[in-house]
Amino acid sequence: MIDLSTKYIGLHLKNPIIAASSGLTANIENIKKLESNGVAAIVLKSIFEEEILQQEKDLKNEVQKDSLIYSELSETLDYIDIHIKEDTLNVYLELIRKAKKETLIPIIASINCVTNYEWTDFAKKIESAGADALELNIFLNPVDTSDKDFEKTYIEITKNVTKKVSIPVSVKISQYHTKPAHVIQKLSETGATGIVLFNRFYTPDINLEKLELTQANHFSNENEYLNVLRWIALMSKKINCDLAASTGIHSAETIIKQILAGASAVQIASVLYSKGIDYVSVLLKELENWMEKHNYNYLNQIKGKLSQEKIQDPAAFERMQFMRYFSGIE
Amino acid sequence: MTNNPEYFKAERDQEWRVALRSQIKNKERTSRERVKMPEQDPNIRNKNSLEVNLGLTEEQAVSEAQRCIDCPNPTCITGCPVGINIPKFIKYIEARDFLSAAKTLKETNSLPAVCGRVCPQEVQCEAQCFYTQKLKKPAVAIGHLERFAADFERNSGKISIPEIAERNNIKVAVIGSGPGGLAAAGDLVKMGYSVTVFEALHEIGGVLKYGIPEFRLPNDIVDVEINNLRKMGVEFITNFVVGKTSSFEDLKAKGYVAFFTASGAGLPRFMNIPGENYVGIFSSNEYLTRVNLMGAAKADYDTPVLFGKNVAVIGGGNTAMDSVRTAKRLGAERAMIVYRRSLDEMPARIEEIHHAQEEGIEFMNLNSPVEYFADESGRVNRMRLQKMELGEPDSSGRRRPVPLTSSEYDVDVDMVVVSVGVSPNPLIPSAVDGLNITKWGTIHVNPDNMQSNISDLFAGGDIVRGGATVILAMGDGRNAAAGIHAYIQQTLVN
Repeated sequence: MIDLSTKYIGLHLKNPIIAASSGLTANIENIKKLESNGVAAIVLKSIFEEEILQQEKDLKNEVQKDSLIYSELSETLDYIDIHIKEDTLNVYLELIRKAKKETLIPIIASINCVTNYEWTDFAKKIESAGADALELNIFLNPVDTSDKDFEKTYIEITKNVTKKVSIPVSVKISQYHTKPAHVIQKLSETGATGIVLFNRFYTPDINLEKLELTQANHFSNENEYLNVLRWIALMSKKINCDLAASTGIHSAETIIKQILAGASAVQIASVLYSKGIDYVSVLLKELENWMEKHNYNYLNQIKGKLSQEKIQDPAAFERMQFMRYFSGIE
Repeated sequence: MTNNPEYFKAERDQEWRVALRSQIKNKERTSRERVKMPEQDPNIRNKNSLEVNLGLTEEQAVSEAQRCIDCPNPTCITGCPVGINIPKFIKYIEARDFLSAAKTLKETNSLPAVCGRVCPQEVQCEAQCFYTQKLKKPAVAIGHLERFAADFERNSGKISIPEIAERNNIKVAVIGSGPGGLAAAGDLVKMGYSVTVFEALHEIGGVLKYGIPEFRLPNDIVDVEINNLRKMGVEFITNFVVGKTSSFEDLKAKGYVAFFTASGAGLPRFMNIPGENYVGIFSSNEYLTRVNLMGAAKADYDTPVLFGKNVAVIGGGNTAMDSVRTAKRLGAERAMIVYRRSLDEMPARIEEIHHAQEEGIEFMNLNSPVEYFADESGRVNRMRLQKMELGEPDSSGRRRPVPLTSSEYDVDVDMVVVSVGVSPNPLIPSAVDGLNITKWGTIHVNPDNMQSNISDLFAGGDIVRGGATVILAMGDGRNAAAGIHAYIQQTLVN
């Protein structure tokens, strides 16, 4: 009997597959379907701070167009941003409560934030609603040309949230950092119990016929895991918290590679869209088959086996080695 | 209400008005200073509940009326939601025919004494006045004059009752006795309908009684207006919750053929910050209702309201001003407004802010509470404030408050009143199957006649607007009355 169980941010998972935050984790029907197909935990669709700000903007525009809604001296509209946040959060808290009531697997709430204003208080409410953990998906726009210290904001948000709640807090970060290793290190020292590498952004493309911008790949492709693999391998033994791999995880082989590099778990989303929710059971079967074929009984036997510290040529994961490799190609 | 320019022109061309205009040259009229409303001394009034504004004397009123140049194109009327013939009533005051001035007001406004006190004229009729628009000078004090005429009539004992059409015995129900309900009831009864106003509370008047304090709008002023409606034949039933005490179907079975819902926006909202449930933290709705309507500030009251020494009121609107000034009158040594934007962005009327400042209210602008703390008994004893700065303007052009990091500090408080807005009363929307509701919980209506998608149900005031002014609610009530009349004539009578 193969034991695929793993521990991630203090949660006991029956296998390393977590359903990543996406539209598929936004309603209770899909959440139950994901559980019945074998995912070990679910990260609920993020509550997006940007979306709330957009809603506020839309409402104000709508109010200005509506001759009946009174805005001039209205106290309600004066505090509308707070009320929209409250309403959005209440819907989200209800989803957490429902998911906890109707499933047995860990439910991880997710906040996608761009500022460090009120999210710490929201985190407390999310904890009270019963979430087993919280994932902070901090998105600071890398095209910002100001001298704002993004890394500092990451650390501040994480510090504030971890101070307020007692549930595990993981941080999902982007790969756009001056020194990713430093950021990962600092986050692990700040109180984050897990770091998810990396989140994926909207990618624009150009349609040459229509001469207009289009959206490139909606979903990740199966080669996108490589950069994640490299950073998991580089950092997994250097920090005191768990790492989860995300982006480009489309097959059992990729899952095994990430675990070998040192990931405690993986997060999948695109493959669920492309191959369906029931593909989770295929991934799990293939995972077991590989373990069996290579005579492993426990996932922990392979975890970190090929992390940077464990391999004979540690520089293989670093950039210098990368440069040397390409300089040899004529 | 008529907005017919021909009608206004014919009225303006009447002999008495032509003669009045010729008595004083426009140059002289426009060179006069706007009258200043006499007020109680701030240090006296902040210890009593008597009205702050004392009202104009006859001489002051006539002098102010003389400032009005009786424009050929009276733009002021366009700023009035109920379309009062403003130049006509002002010219009656100039002619010292004060009772006719009051009668003119009542042609389109069933609550002139109320509107003269609480309407934000500075953003309505006075904002459209020739003085404001063209001369860039203070507008004619239309609100002060309205109050003067209404008060004069009341004090004279010669209150005019508008003409009532012959009773047609068609029953119409009005739900809610606030300004919208009263205005609709007044118009409908004038048209000959049998009007019943159903009120959930034990007192008639809605927000005029429970929301606006005595020092701004004395209850006996409201009662006089309500009694006028009674004399006109409006029936009032209190302690009756439509949707609970009786359903719409029950009322239809009793013969009501149309309904006007003006059930208000009485559901308070909070900021949802930690500690907001501690004892001593109220919504402004609860605080003002208990003091204004229930008498909870009286010594012999069974469940008295708390009396705070250090009271913080969160918010910057008129309700916040009413709350903080009430707290001051009930003995607060330190009564504070905590508002996250600057003084310039406050939604409260300038007059209310000015009065509050005079009365010793402390304004803590660019501050927002982030947490409350309590003593062992659970009574709030401290609030944590975060300083704010104003960031980029949002889509409405107002600058967004942005928290300053590491700027938190604590202030001792023993009472907090949260006044950050309200939600529409959900009772009626949830009691009518298929009623079209907006995503803000308000009833969706046709703005021309205030009719909802349920043909016999009309709505107006805060339940449609989400939180408006007395006069806008009244305008809705009048529109709805006309809409109900048209509906009944088309569907039942013809």
